[in-house]
Amino acid sequence: MTTPIVICDDSSFARKQMARSLPGGWDVEVSFAAHEKEAIDAIKAGKADILFLDLNMPIMDGYEVLEAIRAEDLPTMVLVVSGDIQPEAHKRVTSLGALDFIKKPVTTEKITEILTNFGIISQTQPQSESELARFDDQQVGLTDLIQEVVNVSMGQAGSLLAGLLDTFIHLPVPKIHLVEYQKLSQILASRENPSLSGVSQGFNGSGISGEAVLVVSDDSVPNMSKLLQYDTSLNGNSDLEVLMDLSGILIGACLKGIAEQLDLEFSYSHPMILGRKQMLAPLLGDNVPQQQVLAIEIDYSIPAYNVECDLILILTADSIPALSERAGYLK
Amino acid sequence: MSLSSKDLDMTGLHWMMQMLQTVDVGLVVLDRSLKIQLWNGFMESHSGIRTAKARDENLFTLFPEIPEQWLTRKIESVFTLNSRAYSTWEQRPHLFKFKSYRPLTGRSELMYQNITIIPLTGIDKSVTHVCILVYDVTDIATGKIELQKANEELARLSRTDRLTGLNNRGHWEERVFTL
Repeated sequence: MTTPIVICDDSSFARKQMARSLPGGWDVEVSFAAHEKEAIDAIKAGKADILFLDLNMPIMDGYEVLEAIRAEDLPTMVLVVSGDIQPEAHKRVTSLGALDFIKKPVTTEKITEILTNFGIISQTQPQSESELARFDDQQVGLTDLIQEVVNVSMGQAGSLLAGLLDTFIHLPVPKIHLVEYQKLSQILASRENPSLSGVSQGFNGSGISGEAVLVVSDDSVPNMSKLLQYDTSLNGNSDLEVLMDLSGILIGACLKGIAEQLDLEFSYSHPMILGRKQMLAPLLGDNVPQQQVLAIEIDYSIPAYNVECDLILILTADSIPALSERAGYLK
Repeated sequence: MSLSSKDLDMTGLHWMMQMLQTVDVGLVVLDRSLKIQLWNGFMESHSGIRTAKARDENLFTLFPEIPEQWLTRKIESVFTLNSRAYSTWEQRPHLFKFKSYRPLTGRSELMYQNITIIPLTGIDKSVTHVCILVYDVTDIATGKIELQKANEELARLSRTDRLTGLNNRGHWEERVFTL
């Protein structure tokens, strides 16, 4: 009997990656949903005996979809597929009625194992050529792909930070901007904050180069220092200490995740302090030859402690061809 | 006569060792109990402690002046998170109290250092050791400090009167506009 399934993710790349990771020989009818409304409509239309659901989506996130499914008692089994790998996220979705939690990036082995555990499939076989090729017509844009790669990496970085601070971190959907570098400081979320500190770390590898910039609101620093349990009497310069440790962890984990997924090796510079207690524009500097950059903005926040920090990955114009080429292998 | 691949491997290893000894960066490998496993030429020359003496010694026994709690915390995070940790000269001018390369014309008696601590993994990919990289940034640091001083001096000169040493007209005008 054919099982109707729905894959709900805002990223076309993630949808395709998920579809291509379905185990071979599983008789399914796959529908795709780009947002929560399509998913709920599909369930109501009987197209979703099983729903593969992403957590981080822009309009209504996965948690809200789970709540809606429960509230209306909709007939579907939900498997959450997420780049947010904090243990707390796992706990939350299972308490909201999801069957299980699959960590991104997904692989056929992971999906097969979970489906077998729940007795949804009983035998496995490798995917045939035609099974692999059945989703080739799904188009994936470069921005979608980069967004998803970053999504998974920032999830890994966020999880490290959550573990270190022993708190839950709110993970946003990464935003992608293709803009003139000079205009960047006018569009980022922290553009109006009067007092920011910034750290930058350069990276370079396989024709891709750029800078990872961590911008922290200065009023977040004392709380962050408390969360990190720094002994202020020990470190004369504990604000700098917080800034450097935070950037080391977030930038390091995020770039490592990206390098792993795109299968490249980066070299990293020593992190540099861009400035303290300034607005965004002077921090990012204006003494740069005019160029188009690809900027990926990730706003981490810990609402309970009023902590805000933005990680901005900025890739130079001449990295984009190399990045597209790398990305081509993933599609 | 050509070298066999085995000879080439040995030569390569030999070259690698010479480069590690010569490179102008301090390299220290520590095991889980913070005992020194590798100590390169840079560290030997600047500390005056020979490799033979440093090996298997605890870092803090050898250098009691290093802030133990601070560094242990950093090293622990490298072991547990498998990610790098950094310290800049702005945060802590130096980890090892070394004399600067040019004690006479270099404008600083001590070496300013940037520190990177990287995880080293074993065959099973778990972190078994860490490596401390010590970069000499004395020239950059003194340059930046002097620049800052010069800017402060310029700012002071631009708002005072040379003869009387009092704030000048320009300064008062600026103050009025900020009110």
